[in-house]
Amino acid sequence: MSNISGKAYAWNVLSPINGGRLIALLKKLSFRLAGVFLPNSLKGLRTLSTIHYARWVIVRDADFPCLSPTQPREKLRYSYMFFFSDFNGAWEEYVDAFALAIPGSLNKLWWHTVAWPKVAPMQPFHRYIVRNQLFTNHYYSAYPMASSTDVKASRNVRAGVSKLGAVAMALSPADFQKQYHTLLKELQHELALIGPTPIVSLAAQAVEEREREDTHGHS
Amino acid sequence: MDNRYGNIYALTAFCPLRPESDGTESPTAVIRNVLNHEPSDHHGAMARVPNTFLCRLFVLDDVVYQGKPAVYEHLKSNYLVFTATVYGDLEPYLRGMWINAAPFVREVWRFCIGFDRVHDEITFARYIQQCQIKTNLFFNGSDDPGSSEHSPAEQLKSLYVQQEFARFVGEHQGLSAGEVQEAFQRFVARVRPDDLTGPTWRAGASSLDDAVVGADL
Repeated sequence: MSNISGKAYAWNVLSPINGGRLIALLKKLSFRLAGVFLPNSLKGLRTLSTIHYARWVIVRDADFPCLSPTQPREKLRYSYMFFFSDFNGAWEEYVDAFALAIPGSLNKLWWHTVAWPKVAPMQPFHRYIVRNQLFTNHYYSAYPMASSTDVKASRNVRAGVSKLGAVAMALSPADFQKQYHTLLKELQHELALIGPTPIVSLAAQAVEEREREDTHGHS
Repeated sequence: MDNRYGNIYALTAFCPLRPESDGTESPTAVIRNVLNHEPSDHHGAMARVPNTFLCRLFVLDDVVYQGKPAVYEHLKSNYLVFTATVYGDLEPYLRGMWINAAPFVREVWRFCIGFDRVHDEITFARYIQQCQIKTNLFFNGSDDPGSSEHSPAEQLKSLYVQQEFARFVGEHQGLSAGEVQEAFQRFVARVRPDDLTGPTWRAGASSLDDAVVGADL
């Protein structure tokens, strides 16, 4: 089991939808509208700079793939909403930030789900998330050392370096210095040095601990 | 907007597993074991698959029950859930997955119903598309609205340049304008900010010691 890949955490939440097929259809329609009118309708999510990506998937029994005549078809009373998110930081930080930054949006996104406690107060909300979370067995990130903020910042740095690099040779030392200082001023918040996280993945950590115990014995 | 946000594609696939009662092995247990042991860094199979930003795999063995008065119900099959956030179109991505990680794919998917018909990149792409579930809402927090989306190769290059430049700035403080200019030109020639082939960061690298690839010695 590994919900962690460096600085990224894979969060999966499964929620049954109340109210039959019509409500599931309405939810799908509202998601489509939210998608079309992004970023305005979900601009609150953008205030959470810790999210790489997130998706909501609504599935009814007929949507589960059936690839063989011998495979039984699913028969479910509820439609189900799957939420998959890739975020940076610890579970509690993210769940709390999510709830505090966009409580109204969360209540809308989870509208008509069974036993949804609403975002506030926090304790029932936490309990709901714990109860409905699905754990990931394998999680991969192309850049586990980088947060979503690092990802965006690094693009500005590369663009700035490339731009100055293209003209640096043609400038006088004084003009170069002026442009170099301007670049540093522009990038001053985006030049952080990145380091690896103490735990790359829970599975890797478990292996390390086991090897340490094998080598040194139980303390 | 559903599976796609500009050039970014959100793949969600539920691949049905053979029943637990078939054969002597438990598909769920075997798959979980394989996935739990697969390295998640640059040594892992998915690091070899071009255009993968993030992906996850897990076995879904039932739906969740919310307590009374909710209805208590169960899935009839278990499913291997595969979600991936990728750059570009889905079919070439899936073909690249087979071409670059076929042994891993075979090991993980071998208990899935219908996978016995998969024997090359084309049939694998077709199979995953049969298992695909449409994403209803996709949020991209890694690209600012209105900006063009960057591929993982561009992103890894940007992270490499950012780290090298942060070090360069720290190491060249207090020098004359001419000295910094000369050093900067050597720096640009070394890091090649517009060359995605290298030097750059290795996909999946989780440690600075082995992150850089393609640098001149």
